[in-house]
Amino acid sequence: MARTLTFSIFRYNPQDPASVPHMQEFRLEETESMTLFIALNRLREEQDHSLQFDFCCRAAICGACAMVINGRPGLACHSKTKDYPDKITLMPLPVFKLIGDLSVDTGTWFRGMAKRVESWCHTKKIFDPTAQEERMDNALAERIYELDRCVECGCCVAACGTALMRDDFLGAVALNRVARFVLDPRDERSEQDYFDIIGTDEGVFGCMGLLGCQDVCPKSLPLQEVLGKLRLKMAFAAANHLLPRFLRREIKL
Amino acid sequence: MSIPSYATHNPRANCRSSAYLDWLQMLSGACLVIFMIMHLFFVGSVIISPSLMNGLSDVFEWTGMAQIGGPVIFFLLLLHFVLAARKIPFASKQQGIMLADARRMHHLDTWLWVIQAVSGMVILVMGSIHLWTVLTDLPITAEKNAMRLRDSAGWVSFYVVFIPIVWLHTGIGFYRIMVKWGVVGIDGRSSLRQKDALVVAAAMIIGFATLLRFIFLSK
Repeated sequence: MARTLTFSIFRYNPQDPASVPHMQEFRLEETESMTLFIALNRLREEQDHSLQFDFCCRAAICGACAMVINGRPGLACHSKTKDYPDKITLMPLPVFKLIGDLSVDTGTWFRGMAKRVESWCHTKKIFDPTAQEERMDNALAERIYELDRCVECGCCVAACGTALMRDDFLGAVALNRVARFVLDPRDERSEQDYFDIIGTDEGVFGCMGLLGCQDVCPKSLPLQEVLGKLRLKMAFAAANHLLPRFLRREIKL
Repeated sequence: MSIPSYATHNPRANCRSSAYLDWLQMLSGACLVIFMIMHLFFVGSVIISPSLMNGLSDVFEWTGMAQIGGPVIFFLLLLHFVLAARKIPFASKQQGIMLADARRMHHLDTWLWVIQAVSGMVILVMGSIHLWTVLTDLPITAEKNAMRLRDSAGWVSFYVVFIPIVWLHTGIGFYRIMVKWGVVGIDGRSSLRQKDALVVAAAMIIGFATLLRFIFLSK
């Protein structure tokens, strides 16, 4: 027997002065292997053409469809309806600017984040297009890639109590990004350079270890370990000059 | 929008204070965890025999650990509170955001933090009362504790509340240090949480057994 699902969806259009934020209920027959991507598209096609939400790849690669599903941030295309009860509540991601209904502007936030942590390889080497590309150890390349799998969906920021409370907190995505450049031998930034970016209460020391980021990340990035090691690395970077030689540590990520 | 909320003339914000304060918060917490375990064995020794506890107490007295160590622990408690309180929102709007987040997400670790924040406030008051009462009436003896508890239902109810709150805070604090400082990886997290819960339960049982032993001492 197919279930009839009840969707309770946040509706609000900030562009329309007459619009008031409210929850609207929709009913839909569940089909086999139905994802929220399928459900929302059917709702828009069959029941309400004005429903706003973002989708692009429908394969958990673009990160556009992040929303709060029954209280937890997640990717709609990556969420099967069979894993949820009969009633599914959908809300837009907090923190980010609301475009309308379930659609938020993560792009502006992520651009700000990328500028703040200077999310690019800092190098003084002049690019020589004729030279052979520099080689990198495969294991290291894979470790960098593991952190680079982030799709910038914003779930970790929306799940973080600290980020919700303090809008200047960098969030797991930014700290993960910094860790990715710390690992990368092509980036010539020193430990002090990284410390200047994240060694503050808005950075890694502001993280309260709630681990919401780890538990909602749709790409299962190792955020708990990245944040833990980054905290340790930055803490020793600040304290090493005070410590006796045998206690000094250079933490490798 | 995530842009720096203030401007500075110093191009390098070379300030290590956040790091130092975070170190101190963790280290003061870790010291208090170690102290609590030692404290458990010390007062718990009364279950075996009141004279064993009195003997240990004499050692603390002769070595000056009670006279100096006691106030040091008091200071650590206050220091730890102030350092940890930097992270606890004071504005009700922010508190509301945090609570709403924990409720909406049904997320255990966010709830653990809420428990830490609330129990920390309770421990600041109750711990101060406990430390003041004990340290202004040195030396610590099993008989004195027994007297205090026998004569007053107030003191008994005080410890009935205080013991579980302290162990909850100690256990969660230990777990949070382990995950926050990267000591335990992703795979070890849930098993650490289970083991930690077992140790906390055992500590609470020993704590209550100690309380009962004091109440019924030499009756």
